[in-house]
Amino acid sequence: MANNTTNQEKKLFDHEVVQEIEAQKKRWQENTLKGKDGEGQYYSDSGIPINLLYTPDDIKDVDYLKDIGFSGEAPYVRGVYPNMYRGRLFTVRQIAGFGTPEDTNERFKFLLKNGATGTSVVLDLPTIRGYDSDDPEAEGHVGAAGVAIDSIEDIEALYDGIPIEEVSSNIVTHLPSTTVVVMAMFAAHAEKKGIPLEKLSGTNQNDFLMETAIGSSLEVLPPKASFRLQCDAIEYASKNMPRWNPVSYNGYNLREAGTTAVQEVACAIANAIGTSEELIRRGNKIDDFAKRLSFFWNLFNDFFEEIAKCRASRLVWHEVMKDRFNAQHPKSHLMRFHVQTAGITLTKVEPLNNIARSAIQGLAAVLGGAQSLHVDSYDEAYSAPTEESALISIRTQQIIQAETNVVNTVDPLAGSYFVEKLTQDMAQRIRDYIAEIESKGGLVAAVESGWLHREISDFAYQMQKDIEDGKHKIVGLNYFPTEQSQTKVEVFRYPETAESRQKEKLEKLRKKRDKEKVERALAVLRQKCHEDVNLMPYIKEAVLEYATLGEIEEVFREEFGLWQFPLA
Amino acid sequence: MQIKVVMAKLGLDIHWRGALVVSRMLRDEGMEVVYLGNQFPEQIVDAAIQEGADVIGLSTLGGNHLTLGPKVVQIAKEKGVDALVIMGGVIPEDDIPLLKEAGISEVFGPETRIESIASFIRSEVNQSIA
Repeated sequence: MANNTTNQEKKLFDHEVVQEIEAQKKRWQENTLKGKDGEGQYYSDSGIPINLLYTPDDIKDVDYLKDIGFSGEAPYVRGVYPNMYRGRLFTVRQIAGFGTPEDTNERFKFLLKNGATGTSVVLDLPTIRGYDSDDPEAEGHVGAAGVAIDSIEDIEALYDGIPIEEVSSNIVTHLPSTTVVVMAMFAAHAEKKGIPLEKLSGTNQNDFLMETAIGSSLEVLPPKASFRLQCDAIEYASKNMPRWNPVSYNGYNLREAGTTAVQEVACAIANAIGTSEELIRRGNKIDDFAKRLSFFWNLFNDFFEEIAKCRASRLVWHEVMKDRFNAQHPKSHLMRFHVQTAGITLTKVEPLNNIARSAIQGLAAVLGGAQSLHVDSYDEAYSAPTEESALISIRTQQIIQAETNVVNTVDPLAGSYFVEKLTQDMAQRIRDYIAEIESKGGLVAAVESGWLHREISDFAYQMQKDIEDGKHKIVGLNYFPTEQSQTKVEVFRYPETAESRQKEKLEKLRKKRDKEKVERALAVLRQKCHEDVNLMPYIKEAVLEYATLGEIEEVFREEFGLWQFPLA
Repeated sequence: MQIKVVMAKLGLDIHWRGALVVSRMLRDEGMEVVYLGNQFPEQIVDAAIQEGADVIGLSTLGGNHLTLGPKVVQIAKEKGVDALVIMGGVIPEDDIPLLKEAGISEVFGPETRIESIASFIRSEVNQSIA
């Protein structure tokens, strides 16, 4: 009996109070609302039913200390750090990357001068897909949509004059195969500069889903091989680069390809679970690496659902670390995430409206407790951002930081009956979807069978139908359709000479390096592909001998074989 | 007669959402669509020959439209293929006249309704048959 009383006391609201509220709610519904709660059922973007009005009885089972708690303490719903943005504002991290490394280096310096607090680089498609700039497959892509990286010399040019021991470096490597090479180049170039690996802070993306589910391509490594490289990079960093985040589980691109917010978070956490199991199998301890795992979310326009998603993701991650892996280090329990606003929600019609959309999404990210943020530019549906539109994205973040006061208090929406209920609902759906993935044999198996591809494709197909039917409203498109004819937008042009400049540098490099040493290093790597060892040290040896990214990845393609992307 | 479309992601461009959704919705419109995945111009044209396609659909968001797009038309001409070549993706307005000059029949940007793609295909293909 005494126990019962204690339990009751821990609930947010007294049992009798809740009963009274429930009774009064019934009265209110009958006498005041009188059934005028709008036609049909309302749902959040990921399908959670939404009530007209939330009251304490909707969260009557919540035990504040156990289920919500304080910032910087379990279960981390309110934020990963005790003082959140008072301690450190979210990092303004705008992606840049185009042309040669020299071109992007200039943009880096422009962004840093204007208040960006970290660099973030996106690579061109040949680099992401493992081809050198002089490869026939690279034609038409060099320096377009990202910067071209062929050798360690390119990394040296990219970070020339950037204080990498002070400014954190985000490298959007996408695939594990790209990650292991570029990360090896980054680490090796820092050591050449005399900067110890312990001082390097930053993040690379490193997600096997990017290779095998989200982005299609000509030559794709099998999921198991891609997953192995993902784990190699994480294991290497956990031992050598203690301030580096060797992975950013990419919910973002899953969402862009076509998933709900629930699937986005669930897939990313399922990937982190798989990684943890594999690294433990290799003899690592959970607390050796879990604290450096980081996540990447996409925030759409469903404002409260996205905020609830951020809060729920921290809760579920903490549960996974505590209950499955028995992680002891407090940092292992922290779900730290970067947010990019949703490119796919931006319209081509009336493009300036996109500034409003991105600002709302960016605000949600901050109310959700993001560690760093990229706000998409209004010209997303036209081209990569111009200098002008990229500056508006930075300014949007600075307005949130300095003018809205939202950063002054931690997790300001906590305690909202609606937000707390939605956080619980999101968490439950995320747990359920993780369970569904595990019922398919885990994420690697769910990719091998094409199950995940079908989930994504079905969602994207349905969404397009809903847009065309007007069920999913988009302002200027199917809701108050625009009357403007064409909007003139100044587009960003990729430097046309990038391809020839990269090719020239490669030609010189291939001439001046010690061919024999390159071949020896690649031969060792080739052999190690078939052993149960971490490939990172062998890749680093090869890049130091000026082996190119394309040569190293050719080794992977030959040794691991290629996989048929299961889409039709 | 059922219209046959081969749909490809152009070159290395990774964004498959648009190409796949358009493929599925053109099927709903009664067309036969063969989704090729990522291919370069030569292979795309070869696939069009093999499939006897009426239409070649190219999808790109990766900035390679001006380099690889016209190449598809050129190779198709060389190989005697008279399929309709259309393109979709994120493509700057100013480039559209250049693409059309190079023989791409139409360019569909974001927010295009699928039925307008379908009706364009139908009118062009029927015209060429007539």
